[in-house]
Amino acid sequence: MSLYKIKKATNCIIESVPAHKILEALGIRKGVNVRVLIRQPFGGPVVIRVGQRDIAVSHEYAKQITVKEVV
Amino acid sequence: MHCRDNREEIHRTGEIPRILLIGNPNVGKSVIFSKLTGHEVMASNYAGTTVSYSSGKAKLYGKQAVITDVPGMYSLEATSSAEEVALNLLNAGADTVICVLDATNLERNLNFALQLKERGLPLVFALNLVDVAEQKGIYIDVLALQKELGFPVIPTVAVRNIGLAELMSKAFAAAAQPGNARKNHVLSSEERWKEVGRIIGIVQKVEHRHPTFWERLGDSMIMPFPGLLIAALVLAASLGVVVGGGKGLRAGLLLPLVNDFYVPFVSNLVSSFIPEGMIRNILIGDYGILIKSIEWPFALILPYVFLFYIVLSFLEDTGYLPRLGVLADGIMRRLGIQGGDLIPMMIGYGCAVPAILGTRAATTFKQRLIVSALVVLAVPCASQTGAFVALLGDQSVLVLLLVYFISLCVIFLSGMLLKRIVPGQSDTILIEVPNLLIPNTHALFKKMWIRIKHFMIEAGIPMLFGVAIAALVAETGVLVNFSKLMEPIVVNWLGLPGEASLSLILGVLRRELAVMPLLEMELSTVQLLIGSLVALFYMPCLTVLGVLIKEFGVRVAAAISVSTIIFALFFAGLINQAINLILSIV
Repeated sequence: MSLYKIKKATNCIIESVPAHKILEALGIRKGVNVRVLIRQPFGGPVVIRVGQRDIAVSHEYAKQITVKEVV
Repeated sequence: MHCRDNREEIHRTGEIPRILLIGNPNVGKSVIFSKLTGHEVMASNYAGTTVSYSSGKAKLYGKQAVITDVPGMYSLEATSSAEEVALNLLNAGADTVICVLDATNLERNLNFALQLKERGLPLVFALNLVDVAEQKGIYIDVLALQKELGFPVIPTVAVRNIGLAELMSKAFAAAAQPGNARKNHVLSSEERWKEVGRIIGIVQKVEHRHPTFWERLGDSMIMPFPGLLIAALVLAASLGVVVGGGKGLRAGLLLPLVNDFYVPFVSNLVSSFIPEGMIRNILIGDYGILIKSIEWPFALILPYVFLFYIVLSFLEDTGYLPRLGVLADGIMRRLGIQGGDLIPMMIGYGCAVPAILGTRAATTFKQRLIVSALVVLAVPCASQTGAFVALLGDQSVLVLLLVYFISLCVIFLSGMLLKRIVPGQSDTILIEVPNLLIPNTHALFKKMWIRIKHFMIEAGIPMLFGVAIAALVAETGVLVNFSKLMEPIVVNWLGLPGEASLSLILGVLRRELAVMPLLEMELSTVQLLIGSLVALFYMPCLTVLGVLIKEFGVRVAAAISVSTIIFALFFAGLINQAINLILSIV
């Protein structure tokens, strides 16, 4: 499922990420645990927690990132 | 500061070793640099504060080194013009490279550290922010990390000077023993992350803690609710401090000082030596050099600039601005820019120069150009805000609010237009939300000092020139002739008194000087509004023009200047004509 469609506060594992230098450098990569903190209205970004850090990811990027829910 | 880099010689100077300070964005490189060298550079709590390099000498135990503060980079591949600068510095080589690691975010920082190791650079690591990490329950085994990395690792708290002496002595030791580093096998991205994971497993222990009040506050600031409410409160409080506090300072302290002591003293002094006539008028008349060159900058403008920078510096150091950027992204993307570009725009409310330079951290040319154009066109700088408050604050607060409302509308509409006409692509938002921190008072004072000193130098001299020109053209009759020439525009189209053409001359020098002459005229409410709008949208000041030429070339700078002048005169006149039409019907 795309990261953009995940409900708030759900724990996920990233399955695939588009090739992008900053995404990778920010630690957004396959196999990493993420949690969506908030989805901003008006086409704004989703804010995700990766490790200890919060990162705002635009919906364009978020739609290209696929994740799997962790039960 | 962004505007004036301390570019000392960074070439090999005899035996003095050269040290580079590098690392991911927002890990504290600039704080370490200014502590080690005593140089004044800007440091803030967000990625992209440093967009160009500064060098300075550090002395310790009788040894010297030239240290260079390098813009932060996410990886060894450049994605912005600030990162290009960083990469070039790294490629030029150094005797020692100090890599600063953020202890609150070690995993990602280690990835960068391993890339440096693969390059075979002579490294020393500073593990910064260990105090914040411990508050968050993150514990790092420094000795184990040192063993894994194969280079010295020094825990530091740069804002409080902890660990910096040891860091320097290790850096000197590394510089004295060249050849300690060798090129490592270059890992693939996947292998490198695997290695990072292995090291993290050995060196880092995270204790689960309940989020602190600050962490919860930081999180709630990016929720639409209560985030937007907090944003409104922060903006209202900021305005209150700047406008209310500025008026208080002015009325309670500065105006009495100038009007009751300085002006009578100088007037009496000059009158007793110089007979009535043109020279006396030039010195102490309507635009008297000796009067206005003190009154305008110090009594009218400085209090607002001072208070604005207190507020801005505080917001910068807490880490609030990127959070506001996350909230504003949905709107900003309609202007062809994004939430990450909010910071240079906010800085523009202080001065357009650091705002334009700050866009170097943006990843596309289109965003750089749009942000710069919007700031130059419609964002009043702190000096101009001071002038507006002086002009409108007492007579008509509503007009003051209207001017700022119109400014926001114009930013919005011209952004939408620029999004369509500026060629190229904009990147969508991808930014880190920094830790919310309580600003360090010492660091805050230092930053204030840099900014105020800068204002005194950058603003004081042009303002003196401006006042001198005003006095000369007013007293020699040149103004009368120029006003006649400009009559169709100034009087017929804009509905202002002919004398207001002085604003158009002085506004070239500085933005607030387009407002100040209006203070000396008896204007109606409509004229106050129109005069303010002309000044707001009028061309950038000379210093900003210089920066535009440097960053974008003569053609773009000329295009921006000419279009802002035309827009200012056309738009303000249009409003004037519209108001007159409405008034004649009613």
